[in-house]
Amino acid sequence: MPTELGDLAARRALAIGGRVPGALAAPASREALAATVRDAAGKGAAIVPLGLGAHRGIGHAPERYDLALSTRALARVVDYVPADMTVTVESGATLAALETVLAAERQWLPLLAPLPAQTTVGGLVAADLSGLLRGGQGRVRDFVIGIAMVTAQGREVRAGGRVVKNVAGYDLMKLMIGSLGTLTIVTEVTMKVVPLPETTRVVALACAERAGGLRLAEHLADLDEVALAVVLMVVPERPEPVLCCVLGGVAADVTITRARILREMREESTSLICDEPADGATAGALLVAARDLARAVPGEVVLRAATLRTRAPALASDLLGALDAASALFDPRVGVLTVAVTTADPAGTIARARAIAAHHQATVTIERWPDALAGTIEVWAPLPPSLPLMRRIKEALDPARTLSPGRFVGRL
Amino acid sequence: MSIRGALDPSVRERLRRDLVAIVGAEAVLAEQADLRVYECDGYTIERSVPSLVVLPGTTDEVARVVRAAAALDVPFVPRGAGTGLSGGCLSDEAPLMICTSRMRRIRAVDVPNRRVVAEAGVVNAAVSRAVRDAGVHYVPDPSSQSACTIGGNVAENSGGPHTLKYGVTTNHVLGIELVLADGEVVALGGESDDLIGYDLTGLVCGSEGTFGIVTAATLRLATVPEGVTTMLAVFETVADATATVSRIIAAGIVPAALEMMDRTIVQAVEAAFHFGFPTDAGAVLIIELDGPAAGLRELAARVEEVCRHGAARSVRTAADEAERAALWKSRKRAFGAVGRLSPNYCTQDGVVPRTRLPEILARIQEAGARHDLRIGNVFHAGDGNIHPIILFDERDRQQTARVLEAGREILRACVELGGSVTGEHGIGVEKIQELGLTFGADDLDFMRRVRAAFDPDGRANPGKIFPTASGCVERRAPRRQAAL
Repeated sequence: MPTELGDLAARRALAIGGRVPGALAAPASREALAATVRDAAGKGAAIVPLGLGAHRGIGHAPERYDLALSTRALARVVDYVPADMTVTVESGATLAALETVLAAERQWLPLLAPLPAQTTVGGLVAADLSGLLRGGQGRVRDFVIGIAMVTAQGREVRAGGRVVKNVAGYDLMKLMIGSLGTLTIVTEVTMKVVPLPETTRVVALACAERAGGLRLAEHLADLDEVALAVVLMVVPERPEPVLCCVLGGVAADVTITRARILREMREESTSLICDEPADGATAGALLVAARDLARAVPGEVVLRAATLRTRAPALASDLLGALDAASALFDPRVGVLTVAVTTADPAGTIARARAIAAHHQATVTIERWPDALAGTIEVWAPLPPSLPLMRRIKEALDPARTLSPGRFVGRL
Repeated sequence: MSIRGALDPSVRERLRRDLVAIVGAEAVLAEQADLRVYECDGYTIERSVPSLVVLPGTTDEVARVVRAAAALDVPFVPRGAGTGLSGGCLSDEAPLMICTSRMRRIRAVDVPNRRVVAEAGVVNAAVSRAVRDAGVHYVPDPSSQSACTIGGNVAENSGGPHTLKYGVTTNHVLGIELVLADGEVVALGGESDDLIGYDLTGLVCGSEGTFGIVTAATLRLATVPEGVTTMLAVFETVADATATVSRIIAAGIVPAALEMMDRTIVQAVEAAFHFGFPTDAGAVLIIELDGPAAGLRELAARVEEVCRHGAARSVRTAADEAERAALWKSRKRAFGAVGRLSPNYCTQDGVVPRTRLPEILARIQEAGARHDLRIGNVFHAGDGNIHPIILFDERDRQQTARVLEAGREILRACVELGGSVTGEHGIGVEKIQELGLTFGADDLDFMRRVRAAFDPDGRANPGKIFPTASGCVERRAPRRQAAL
């Protein structure tokens, strides 16, 4: 059996909600990974698939946690033809490694997902880590065109392919994105990539007060495709919120959009704190802060609230007003607010946030919570009406509840 | 075991009465002359007359119709406008056809939130028309957009010319209302951009009616780009044109659309629409750039340079909206124009990685020569999505057999070059065998398990995508009534 028990410290390092895995494994090949699953499933063990474990706090604690199965040893770039604008990688490759490979050909995956050095491609898919550019460039689901995965029974299966347009068979990529390792273990991913913008610019404004910042964010949400991101941030280092616009495209377009931002900032009380290409020192630091915000900073509770774009500014205003945010990121174009809170009363904070969100017809996902709350909180709310159908899919694909049991929506 | 094929007369009569009670007599078709209209979709090589056709007007009626069918264990097939090209709404294993063509309401238009809720029978082009004055549009625009319906678009995950930059149907669908095979109505997808739970909306897109019937969809609207530049580049050879496609992409430019037509198609299109295409050219590219106006001029200049470097004989930019519209009309109605060239034609749909276009076009030409068939090409070059159009006369049975064989050879070549057997037309009944070229038994078994979670009894559009227990390996042959 290729499973090493791992010393207690190593196992504790991959605890989820206070639950420590019984064993660790990081198979060196996809065949070995499938064999490990067959072996573990045969013994009735529960497996939680992981990359490097950076985002394992998302979701409920598993009901059972016999084996932490990492894909980190599967990190090959399988196929990359720049002129095809597609790349196929094994799931254990980090986003940072992928970024390096693509940048050499002046291409990128335009997501800017958090913690790229610690986030694997498999983790990106399983946890649906929509990035900073979600409002302008799309989500993980818009880029994944092919997948290979090991089933709960230990067989590797495929869906999609390596071409950008493909309707042969079901789009199982969509089913796996955000499924948090409850249906299969992703072993290989094919993605669309795009050329790096020839000109970039980060324009950031410190806003004297939150209301003005939200008004400006709502207003600038209408910027065209040159605006890769328009977000309002609360960062630990600054007392006032920062409106950050990431621009990319042809130089002439970037110039015009930058000028519009500078013109409109005069409508509110703001000061310019960054106006330079994305690879500049200030811009680079801001981008990293925005990208990793609410994931890298400490805070007992991290939650994400989402509603329709027209309701979102009021939602953000109420939540930021009620919670003592250590950091926050608001994307007015998709109506999503992520906020990290340092609090002595995490359960009370979550309840308060939920009540406010309900008022704005928002969904709330608790991305991080203290271990003490494991088993008592509902990570996702409100539960979707199609939950019974989701349960049937889980039962059809993993009847023995081998993969991440109890981790997902409705503890399915 | 569900009833396959023609219904027992007593079951048929009972179901007919049940349906009439739900939707009224005028919305149930039971006469042969009426039913014959529904014997095939745009894939005319196989035909099968349904036992009954029902045209419900609301989601509730669809649900009651499906429950009535379930009570008698009768499988059903959903149908929109019947413009599909892979036989996805052939009724042969599903005696009851449920048409969504009366469900034409746009339930909600919400421009501030960039979304509309359209019923399944709403015609694709009607969505953009409904919001035209607000400066937004629904991006996916398949060539059949003036006829095809949103329900069909979702079922097939339809493409079109503008997928290169903007993606296909699934990238623009935010939510789905689905009637399952037991009559339950489920709402998939939410109000917000943050889905909770599995992305069933994404899973249902492209499932070809095998999970149930889509009765409505919430669609994303996009702001109409500030500027659009549409160019026509003329080449002496197909090889020059396809090489230029790769060079444009390699230059870091992602056009909104990048379409190719070869000489056969250009001549047919010119005869039909008189746009002014050079009929002696080897191939033409239609290149559309869109986005902020300032950068467009620069991008257009760069594209022109790449084209000229790639031996383009001429590069012409559409002078105004009228010329642009005329150019697109020629492209989108190319299939129709082909009717001038031969009594019948068969459109294939395959995909290769963009860089393999020169090879697949050479292989298409070889297949044509080998089987003594004339083949034209009009396709989405930027996506590597080929559409060889094979010309034939269905009265010539021997020639028709060669058409099918040539089509299969082309699809095999697509797979060999790293591509897919269908980019946007679907598997339907046409490509059930070809699905096995890219997926193994374990892959297909896994997909069947997903299907069973939605439709355990196999009543929703049976006999599509996967070989079924009742179908043998060569199941297509006996049904090929029309052509052979």
